[in-house]
Amino acid sequence: MAAEASLESLLHRGLLWRGNGREGAAGRALSSGFRELDEATGGGWPSGALVELVSPGGQGLSLLVPLLVRLGREPRWLAWVDPPWHPHAPALAARGVAVSRILQVRTAGGAEGLWAAEQLLRSGNCAVVMLWPGRLGTARLRRLQLAAEEGDCLGVLFRSPEAVAAPSPAALRLRLGSRGGKLAVEVLKRRGGWNGGRVEVPCTG
Amino acid sequence: MHWLAWYFPRLPLACFAVAPEQPFAVSRSEGGRDRIDRCNEAARTLGVRAGMALAEALALAPGLAVRPRDRRREGRLLEALGGWAWRYSSHVTFDPLLVLLEVEGSLRLFGGFERLVARMERELPEAGRPASWAAAPTPAAAALLARVAPGTRVEHREALAQRLDAVPLHRFTRNRRWLELMRGIGLATIGDCLALPRPELARRLGHEPGLLLDRLLGRLPDPRPLWQPPEQFRQRLLLSCEIDRVEALRFPARRLVELLCAFLRGRDGAAQRLRWRLFHREAPATCFETGLLEPTRERGRMLELLRHRLERLVLPAPVVEVELEVTQWHPFRTEPGDLFGAGEGGDDLLLERLRARLGEEAVRGVALCPDHRPERAWRFCAPLDGEGEEVPPDPSARQQPLWLLPRPQPLAVRRGRPCHRGPLRLQPFLQRVETGWWEGEEAARDYYRAVNPAGERFWVYRERGSGAWFLHGVFD
Repeated sequence: MAAEASLESLLHRGLLWRGNGREGAAGRALSSGFRELDEATGGGWPSGALVELVSPGGQGLSLLVPLLVRLGREPRWLAWVDPPWHPHAPALAARGVAVSRILQVRTAGGAEGLWAAEQLLRSGNCAVVMLWPGRLGTARLRRLQLAAEEGDCLGVLFRSPEAVAAPSPAALRLRLGSRGGKLAVEVLKRRGGWNGGRVEVPCTG
Repeated sequence: MHWLAWYFPRLPLACFAVAPEQPFAVSRSEGGRDRIDRCNEAARTLGVRAGMALAEALALAPGLAVRPRDRRREGRLLEALGGWAWRYSSHVTFDPLLVLLEVEGSLRLFGGFERLVARMERELPEAGRPASWAAAPTPAAAALLARVAPGTRVEHREALAQRLDAVPLHRFTRNRRWLELMRGIGLATIGDCLALPRPELARRLGHEPGLLLDRLLGRLPDPRPLWQPPEQFRQRLLLSCEIDRVEALRFPARRLVELLCAFLRGRDGAAQRLRWRLFHREAPATCFETGLLEPTRERGRMLELLRHRLERLVLPAPVVEVELEVTQWHPFRTEPGDLFGAGEGGDDLLLERLRARLGEEAVRGVALCPDHRPERAWRFCAPLDGEGEEVPPDPSARQQPLWLLPRPQPLAVRRGRPCHRGPLRLQPFLQRVETGWWEGEEAARDYYRAVNPAGERFWVYRERGSGAWFLHGVFD
């Protein structure tokens, strides 16, 4: 009886997954708003965890727009740490994102940006924290992952392709590339399921 | 930059757990002879003094316990005190027996310099006491002042030279050769050195002393490595004499628990399982755990639990060393009597902390503005300021990219085509913006979506007056 209950709880928390069924095995997930992507990642974005979006040009924001729309309804921040350009508020608003929830943090980059990201992730006051870090050691990533868990916050790291070589504690790792007006997504790592899924998602921005 | 240095003169003694009534000293060897380096109060009352030959000290106080200085242990203990400092600044670094922290960004958060210092003093773990502090614009000056003129605060770099003028050179450097040469040419203080023409100083002593002086005065940068606190807590205390009574373990245990609490405060964490190891000279170590119902960082609760556990403990042999280890710690939640009340606290605290460290302007929200020029259709504002003023979103902006360049970037034109990392292929015309003429900042632009040979997609416009091309946004 007790053993059964603990097995259930392990399954529920996504620490254990059944090889034959993808459904329900992963932890709590936030739907991405793209059906194909949800199927390939076991439900969408993992909540309270890190996600890495790997692309040469820091792409992937459009994948997050439906989620930003939804999370913007919560009284929590949508935080951007050192984005490469200005988030274009009118375009975000036209797609339904509550721009008054946007918090943009500008730092000197490097360790300072990571420090700010960690504070934001851990605070519990942010629904999502997006950052564009350069090189990042595994220890630093682990700290960010812990902070995301503590603050129940989705941390999104936009990373360059060199980062793929190093192991990562992130719950989800996607490689992005554009293909004729669509965004090609390859699942490099996910919880509770097989890697290697490939889907295409229409570009929206 | 404003550096606050804390100097812990008794740290070499604090590495060893000694009952206060036990005369105790640490020794160093100097020119082949052992000398007393530092001693505690009980030894001092018996006449033991720093610098005394070991044999002489033992003659004065036959019951004196002496250990050689252990710089590795001192380093580890200093790092544990770094955990205490980490709460007040993310830039913490060390010198021997000193913890240095850059506090410029923290002053606002903690309500000014005096309050910050008072609070740090209050929360300083026992192992670091007594401590002295000083603050200065350079880390080297803060460190030096903490040792020679405790309680000094120099706010401006210009005032440093004057403040350090009378500091004797033997406090500035321990390099014997330099000190001898300096004495030989009649230099006694830092001021004497500064008064000497620099080439003259370099000719006699080499370049290094000049460089050190420049760092001290902030004329040269003095980069310090950023310290990251360790993920786990593990500290050992060597006992000055073997302990065979369980009750006597409470004194070293208290020290360790204090260091642990400082570590947890710095990390905003709390511990639930404390792992203790008692080392014996010959028997295998005695290990046990004390577990709390819920994570805490309250010293009293941890010690009480330990006391209960020690009552049941039977020691197989006298204890020579005690270790406390916490491999897992949890985020800190509410605890009565904590300054921040609800643990991490609300939004204000988060924004305040970010601003204090990064500057007022670094943390911003955005708001929409009723204007058709993309760069004017929104503005930065204080976080949440834009919430009240509802500007309805412009549906035509759906066609616009999610990224906007800080300012339009002129594009080169080759063979009649605008280029950005290769010639751009224009896709059908998107939008015409024609506005601002009444302000004398006329904008008449035709916006296009454009693709370069690498497949990157951009948002470009042609100014209708001049025909010039500009890059204004990036499609994701």
